[in-house]
Amino acid sequence: MSISVEEKSLTGVPVPEVTAKPRKLRHYGTDLAASGEPFLWGLGGALALGILLILGFLTLIFWNGVTTFWPKPIKVVTLTDGSLVAGEPRRDDLYRVGAEVLVTLPEDVRAQIAAKDGYAHRVMYRIGNYDLYNEDFRWVPDFVVEKVETPRDFFFFERQEWGPFIGTIQKVTVNGQETDPAALGFAGITSEQERARERWRQIRKIERSDIGVINHEMEQIRLRLRRIELRQGADSPELHEARLQAEARMAVLQQDYARLAEQAAAIRAEDAKFSITLAEVGGREKEVPLSQIVRFYPANDMGLLQKAGVYFSRWGEFLGDEPREANTEGGILPAIFGTVVMTLLMVVIVAPFGVITALYLREYAKQGRLVSIVRISVNNLAGVPSIVYGVFGVGFFAYTVGGSIDAIFYPERLPSPTFGTGGILWSALTLALLTVPVVIVASEEALAAVPRSMREGSLACGASKWQTIKHVVLPHAMPGIMTGLILAMARGAGEVAPLMLVGVVKLAPELPIDGFFPYVHLERSFMHLGFHIFDVGFQSRNSEAGKPMVFVTTLLLLALIVMMNSSAIYIRNRLKKKFVNAHF
Amino acid sequence: MRPAAFSSPVLERSMTNQRLRQRGTRRSVLIADKMADWTITVGGLLVIFAVLGIMFFLAEVVGPLFGGGKVEGHRSYQLTAMDDAVFVNTDEYRTMSVRVSADGRVESFHLATGTPLVATQLDFDGHKATAVGATVQRNDVAFGFDDGTVRFGQVALRAEVLTEQMLPQGLRPLSETDLTDGEAVYTSIPGNQFRKVYLDLVLDEPQVVSESGAAIVAIDYRMGGSVERPTRSFVTVDADGIARLSRAETRINLMTRAATTNIRTSTLPALPEGIQASAVAMTTQADQVYVAERNGTVYRFDTRNVAEPTLAETVRLTPQGVDLTVMAFLNGEQALFIGGADGSANIWFRLQIEGAATLDGYKMVLTRELTPHEAPVTGFDSSMRRKSLVTSDAAGNVWFRHATSEQVLLQVKRDGASAEDLLMLSPRDDAMILLGRDGADIWNIRVPHPETTWRTIFGKVWYEGYPEPGYTWQSSSGNDTFEPKFSLIPLIFGTMKATFYSLLFAVPIALMGAIYTSEFLHPRLRGAVKPVMEMMESLPTVVLGFIAALILAPLVETWIGAIMLVFVALPLSLIAAAYLWQILPQSTVLRLQGVPKFLFMGAVVLFSCWLAYMAGPAFESAFFAGDLKAWTTGNIGSGTPFMFLLLLPLSFAALTFVFNRSIGHAFRQRLREMDKSKAGVVDALRWLAMLAAAGLVSYAFASLLAMVGYDPRGGVVDSYVQRNALVVGFVMGFAVIPNIYTLAEDALNAVPSSLRAASLASGATPWQTAVWVILPTAMSGVFAAVMIGMGRAVGETMIVVMAAGNTPVLDWNIFNGLRTLSANIAVELPESVKDGTLYRMLFLAALSLFIMTFCINTVAEVIRQRFRKRAFQL
Repeated sequence: MSISVEEKSLTGVPVPEVTAKPRKLRHYGTDLAASGEPFLWGLGGALALGILLILGFLTLIFWNGVTTFWPKPIKVVTLTDGSLVAGEPRRDDLYRVGAEVLVTLPEDVRAQIAAKDGYAHRVMYRIGNYDLYNEDFRWVPDFVVEKVETPRDFFFFERQEWGPFIGTIQKVTVNGQETDPAALGFAGITSEQERARERWRQIRKIERSDIGVINHEMEQIRLRLRRIELRQGADSPELHEARLQAEARMAVLQQDYARLAEQAAAIRAEDAKFSITLAEVGGREKEVPLSQIVRFYPANDMGLLQKAGVYFSRWGEFLGDEPREANTEGGILPAIFGTVVMTLLMVVIVAPFGVITALYLREYAKQGRLVSIVRISVNNLAGVPSIVYGVFGVGFFAYTVGGSIDAIFYPERLPSPTFGTGGILWSALTLALLTVPVVIVASEEALAAVPRSMREGSLACGASKWQTIKHVVLPHAMPGIMTGLILAMARGAGEVAPLMLVGVVKLAPELPIDGFFPYVHLERSFMHLGFHIFDVGFQSRNSEAGKPMVFVTTLLLLALIVMMNSSAIYIRNRLKKKFVNAHF
Repeated sequence: MRPAAFSSPVLERSMTNQRLRQRGTRRSVLIADKMADWTITVGGLLVIFAVLGIMFFLAEVVGPLFGGGKVEGHRSYQLTAMDDAVFVNTDEYRTMSVRVSADGRVESFHLATGTPLVATQLDFDGHKATAVGATVQRNDVAFGFDDGTVRFGQVALRAEVLTEQMLPQGLRPLSETDLTDGEAVYTSIPGNQFRKVYLDLVLDEPQVVSESGAAIVAIDYRMGGSVERPTRSFVTVDADGIARLSRAETRINLMTRAATTNIRTSTLPALPEGIQASAVAMTTQADQVYVAERNGTVYRFDTRNVAEPTLAETVRLTPQGVDLTVMAFLNGEQALFIGGADGSANIWFRLQIEGAATLDGYKMVLTRELTPHEAPVTGFDSSMRRKSLVTSDAAGNVWFRHATSEQVLLQVKRDGASAEDLLMLSPRDDAMILLGRDGADIWNIRVPHPETTWRTIFGKVWYEGYPEPGYTWQSSSGNDTFEPKFSLIPLIFGTMKATFYSLLFAVPIALMGAIYTSEFLHPRLRGAVKPVMEMMESLPTVVLGFIAALILAPLVETWIGAIMLVFVALPLSLIAAAYLWQILPQSTVLRLQGVPKFLFMGAVVLFSCWLAYMAGPAFESAFFAGDLKAWTTGNIGSGTPFMFLLLLPLSFAALTFVFNRSIGHAFRQRLREMDKSKAGVVDALRWLAMLAAAGLVSYAFASLLAMVGYDPRGGVVDSYVQRNALVVGFVMGFAVIPNIYTLAEDALNAVPSSLRAASLASGATPWQTAVWVILPTAMSGVFAAVMIGMGRAVGETMIVVMAAGNTPVLDWNIFNGLRTLSANIAVELPESVKDGTLYRMLFLAALSLFIMTFCINTVAEVIRQRFRKRAFQL
């Protein structure tokens, strides 16, 4: 009887005649319900869907990120109404044609669209020339297209301002002289443009770094006077003396400033003699200083090698330059720098605390109810939303702690806050708090994995507890701890929500590390890759224009995080293998 | 094990070598050990305290929201007797006050000390002011006289900032910070500067308002408009019961500075004979006038057209037999405060109500009954910045209240008060002044957050301008008189909605995927899938948010028909594929078991997506009248096809149940006797037949529901918004799938393989083993995985900020946006003022999130630990 009950529970089907006809059992080979094939396919399908989603997602990012910088051909589209559109085709899709458009269309086009259930194909062109058109992109439905050409004389210009220009070269002015572009040739214009860029870089160097140094010193003098005034009083002799010194120094600085400004003006005057006149597809002309052109190429008249050259030069600019055009063009060096500095700072903070706590929990605390409660809370603190840490960070670190630091150490700068507002230190601390559970859990696991026999061996040899930990336990747990730290870094580098509250900005004027004393400025706000994605993709004037930039930034951030994660997984796997043999 | 144990003296003494004995443990080792001991213990405990400290810090910031107010100082002093003071004013900085008597005597005094300053006389020509009206800012005043004339003027207290050099000579000190020259007060402020506060008196010539010479009994005065078009309006009621309204609009040409003034005056529709008007109130735009009679009847005039005012409504605002003592607007002039002789303090709204029996369609509605005074309400003043108000009664009680939160925040009392005392709340809500005949009482107060209570945050609140009480979050607006509305309910609701939809998507995929991975997947594939999923766990969500908002949302909007079809096509094609698989001969099945089978599954998934893409437009035409977005508004098509889709799985499940209970057993017995391929064919046919039957049943039910008049639109589906819960649910689901998947897979893997082996050895199929043995054993662990996934979804920020549209609405509609607690914090905290109400409210939102996730995670963690222990014991 008990057998039949067991069978019932396994197959879900009562088997009443088991005892009566035992021979029949042998033939029950095709119980389809028992194999549950439809359910299996449901389960497998879910897993396959999950994997396909992930693969699709990664492919989307990888493909878009990798192809963004590849120069695309310029198409000139003649529309049925006779007007011309020139641009890079960006993407195409099927869309539902609106009713108000449909009524304006001729009968046969309408019939075609109706045959496709009201959908029509369209292509989006990046038409550039924002200063002339007031739009960057234009959707062109197929039914308005007369013909599409790829003329060889169309160039793609990347400008310092106003985004790209798509059009033909009309004339080039070299040193005040109008020159025929055909005579100059592409190579000739390129070399002129490179020289112009060199001048532009000189001007920028003078205005940024040289004059920046002067401004910095002036600001320091002002702050010193203010500090003396606050400490010694408004009419103290010290202040009087300092003021005299300051005035002398200021006069020198003013002179330097005037000299540099003059230099810059001279280069600028020279630069004004070089310009290029461009014409858009409709014939409207635009004169652009040659130095304002970052890069230009004949999009339809290039070999593979040339294209590769443009591609890599764009990657170079992306990785090594500052952003321009409200972050939608140019490079992201400050964001990379900010992310790396913040993450490293975070690790420096989180490592000792996480490891010490793990040591305490595993090696020192008495294992009991309290420790298990602590372990539960540490474990689920990892699940507290990151934004909560951000709120805590801004309220406690920035306003409370930072406010006190300002009041004690930087009274001369008040009321503008120094540490009393978001900054890289507070961000790192907030993220350290956020990731400390990750490090604790990983380090604890690593410590637990160190075989007891090793500890006992060390203690038996006469080593003290600390010596045992230092020389035996920690070295063996190190890979595991490293794994935890790397995972924490990966999490910290990708976190954006708390940073939005504690110190990330869309455009930081200064890097957190620079050439001015004390070289490391922990109070400064900074740029961050993740926030860059949010800002460009979401808050910029034209999210479509920023999209390629976002894809590349995303690719970079993802690569960073995947790299960290894979190395963590690799270390973990090696560790597992190592400890299989480590028992003695 | 203390380190001392290692240098045991017994051990050393047993050694023969003398030098060894003396060496012992080196001191440095001992010190290092001790220090490590301390550092690690202190450090470890510190981290734990820090972690707890977060919660306490958040709670500490939130705390003041629920604190009442504080009286920071109280002064009471004698002033020269003034019999019939009619007007009082105080400057913004609590420096000085001024009072005006009915016969024109003006006296100002220093608020902190009571020192008299200016004492002068306004030239009233021997007449007595019988009514006083002041503008909202109180600096401009209109006096109504006993001879029917009206005079305008200013009894203003102005402030300007001076440097030390600009101070006049011969000042005498009043207090630590204040100096005076006998008239103005100079207060030292930070930065070596001084603030001068002085009285500015202006009185215009009299204007005859009441031709009969009847005394003016009530007057109200307003200045409004913009800089280019200032308006001045006043309304009077005279002793004959005639109410007059005058509105002067000045147009200033900004180029020429020339001003043209257009004055329109009208007599309001006649009030009943012998009326005893006690108060009159008017809005700044002069589009409404309220005249109150002493017995509690209020006449509401619609004066939008000044030339032709109408009596819109006559209504009693106090109970029968109770006199009305105070009628005045709260800040914003939307709510009318009515004080009664029985001490009642009520607030009425003028609301547009369908079918109101009034001329303009509005009706006075009693919306708040504030805590009543014990004695008749005699004094009232409203805050200039918030919905706060102060009231005083005949017994001298002065209460500071807040209208919206309906709480009494401060209660103070003045001894020897009379009904004629004048009450004023200082412009910055930081002092209450009660002016008696021969003395004054000043209470310096601090009430930082009068508008928040547990009820206003979590309960329904009837805000001004709203037709009914509701849950509203609206923290800011460009308007000065705007009242911030802080209800966390829409945000908590949004959080729940986002979590619900994302789990709806994530849980089936993650759990089913985890079961398949641990029980059925080929080991080689398993080794590849697991790390990928783990890596997806740490994917930055900002990336997902970007994809959701900029790629997915427009895509879903265009292809909504196809997306809806996927939900139908995917399960159907997987099951269809499974039935086809059953038909395959056994040898082929065995050969293709493992990796190829899984690849087939993937291909089916892709195929069904492609199918949906191709058939999407046709599906949309057939089911949603050709345009799903238009369909959701409820204007075209019917709800039947959608209900059919919803009911299809239900009716299929019901039919299966019925089938299994009735002929299912017999059917399966027959199948067993067939060979496998034939059984597969028969079973597939059975499935198709049942699917068709389920289709018929669900269509019948859907039609029935439509006949009854039920339409799904307006509930879970409603008007389409581009950034909606569907997109958020999908992407956030995508974000939590790896979490749930890895934890559930770990739990399933932790089931000892002995159980698995025993089940298989007993003849159970792998499917039976998975469902009846592995899953029940791992259930608690799997449940914990879902809980942890839920915790993550609750707190997810970036995806919601970017893809959810951020509209704080209470609406389950899957096609509408939402705003979660976390997104709200991320969006509003950077703009909030430190220690302001919004700032603290956002901290409360963070605390709520913290507590919510902490609870969810703790439950999950406890369950998980218990499961681990059990799995270990097995």
